[in-house]
Amino acid sequence: MQSDSDLAIRIENLWIRYRTTVEAAPTLKSTIIGLGRKETRKRQIRIVEAVQGFNLDIHNGSVIGVIGANGAGKSTLLRAIAGILPPTEGRITVNGRVSTLLALGVGFNGMLSGRENIVLGCLAAGLTREQIAQRYEVITEFADLGDFIDMPMRTYSSGMYSRLAFSVSIHMDPDILLIDEALSTGDAKFKERSFAKMEELVAQARTIVIVSHALGTVRDLCTEAVWMDKGRLIERGEPGEITDAYLRFVNVAARPTALEDV
Amino acid sequence: MEHVRNTSDFVDEVHVYEPHKASLPPLGPYLKEFWRRRRFAYEMSRSTQKASNFETALGTVWVVLNPLMLALVYYVLITILSGSASSKGATGELNLLHIVVGIFTWYYAQNAMSLGAVSVTMGGKLILNQAFPRALLPFSSVISAFIMYLPSIPVFLVIYLGFYLTDSSNTIPPLSASLVLLPVYLVILTVTSFGLAMVFGTMTVYFRDTSRFLGYLLRIWLYVTPVLYLPSKLLHHGLKGEILFYGNPLGTVIGSITALWEGQWPSVTYLLVSIAWAVVSLLLGAWLFISRERDFAVRL
Repeated sequence: MQSDSDLAIRIENLWIRYRTTVEAAPTLKSTIIGLGRKETRKRQIRIVEAVQGFNLDIHNGSVIGVIGANGAGKSTLLRAIAGILPPTEGRITVNGRVSTLLALGVGFNGMLSGRENIVLGCLAAGLTREQIAQRYEVITEFADLGDFIDMPMRTYSSGMYSRLAFSVSIHMDPDILLIDEALSTGDAKFKERSFAKMEELVAQARTIVIVSHALGTVRDLCTEAVWMDKGRLIERGEPGEITDAYLRFVNVAARPTALEDV
Repeated sequence: MEHVRNTSDFVDEVHVYEPHKASLPPLGPYLKEFWRRRRFAYEMSRSTQKASNFETALGTVWVVLNPLMLALVYYVLITILSGSASSKGATGELNLLHIVVGIFTWYYAQNAMSLGAVSVTMGGKLILNQAFPRALLPFSSVISAFIMYLPSIPVFLVIYLGFYLTDSSNTIPPLSASLVLLPVYLVILTVTSFGLAMVFGTMTVYFRDTSRFLGYLLRIWLYVTPVLYLPSKLLHHGLKGEILFYGNPLGTVIGSITALWEGQWPSVTYLLVSIAWAVVSLLLGAWLFISRERDFAVRL
């Protein structure tokens, strides 16, 4: 076992719980109207236990694939590591600069051109003007959008959109990169370059956590896989074994459809 | 584990996330990160305005035209209500000038507050996917409001000069050196608006219809603020008037700004009350907002 100083992320007994209301959105009006009716209000609130007592140590330079059914708490886990969702219980320690690719084009504005959105996306991720100037050319080149880079982003196809978004977040020079299902939209050529770029990051002892339903990606790219179900860690280990176990569990034979990005 | 420093710093290499109650995160790192990312708030506000065609010529014209037309509407209303005979001639023009500058100034604060109120709920995608000091969102709204306010200064100057040069009865006072204080009062107004924007921004997360109620609240607020009339009119009503004037976070500061444009030096009392309200609004808004912002991601 490696020492603590080699840890990129340590998650100790993490619980994330949140309340959701069944009514559409909380309003002042409904609060005032519902003042006298305690019981009805209580019935409308559901407590979601997204992550339940989760423990995980992630070492520097590892590529972790998180798999599991929809609603298993995978995205919540990533958001907690990124510092977006506060833990209800437990503790997360993150050593290093985190870059996230949780949703496509965060901070992007569809009315603006790709170029302007690169600046916006980088600023949203916390870079300074100088840092953006340094990375600008590389990001544009990596996204490889040709003339579209000067067009408003609302004219982009979803694949082009995600290429630019992915290009921005991978060039943040992160110590830890968190990716949520983002690789599935690029075309084969772009996917290959993304893999190469990620392998380059891993070679520099950067850490990557990927949430994916594409089990093939997890098998090819990850050094380790984590299987989550209903907010708990079921198993962790070698990607091939874990994905097999997961497939057996969901009772799907390892047919190509389960492995590919659909 | 002991060698890991227990900080939840955005900038620092080590981040520790732990459960929180409704208390403030470490303020030092928070403010440092807020300042480091100020450019983001500016760029975000600029891009929203660009996207909504503000940077086209007509967009800018509309931003100025809207408060200008409203000033005209209120002027007509006030003239009718107060009996048209007394407002004839240059006194009427003086009233109009007061209303125009008052409405322009008021709209700065109003835009900051109403944009700030929805800044968090509209920024949902950003909040769910990126960790940053959330106070940057209402801050960005204040920047937007300020950018919209700026063109009204030259427009007002033109209107003023037009009236001043055609004024034969010398009722319109010349501009005085007191105008050098304008930036000071604008800073005070900005700080107050930012604080209030954070209050309404937080409220909107918990009560989504806040911005609807805010529409009515802002209208009443406009009427009790000396925008359509002079502060002296309120103060004539004794204690009630004084409470309405000094107890209004925007009362003295907007009263002072209109006074500056009318060639007067605002009183020191106004200045002190304005500063006090700015500090109170900022502290209250920041406390309310920052202590709850970690909860926003779950609530959106």
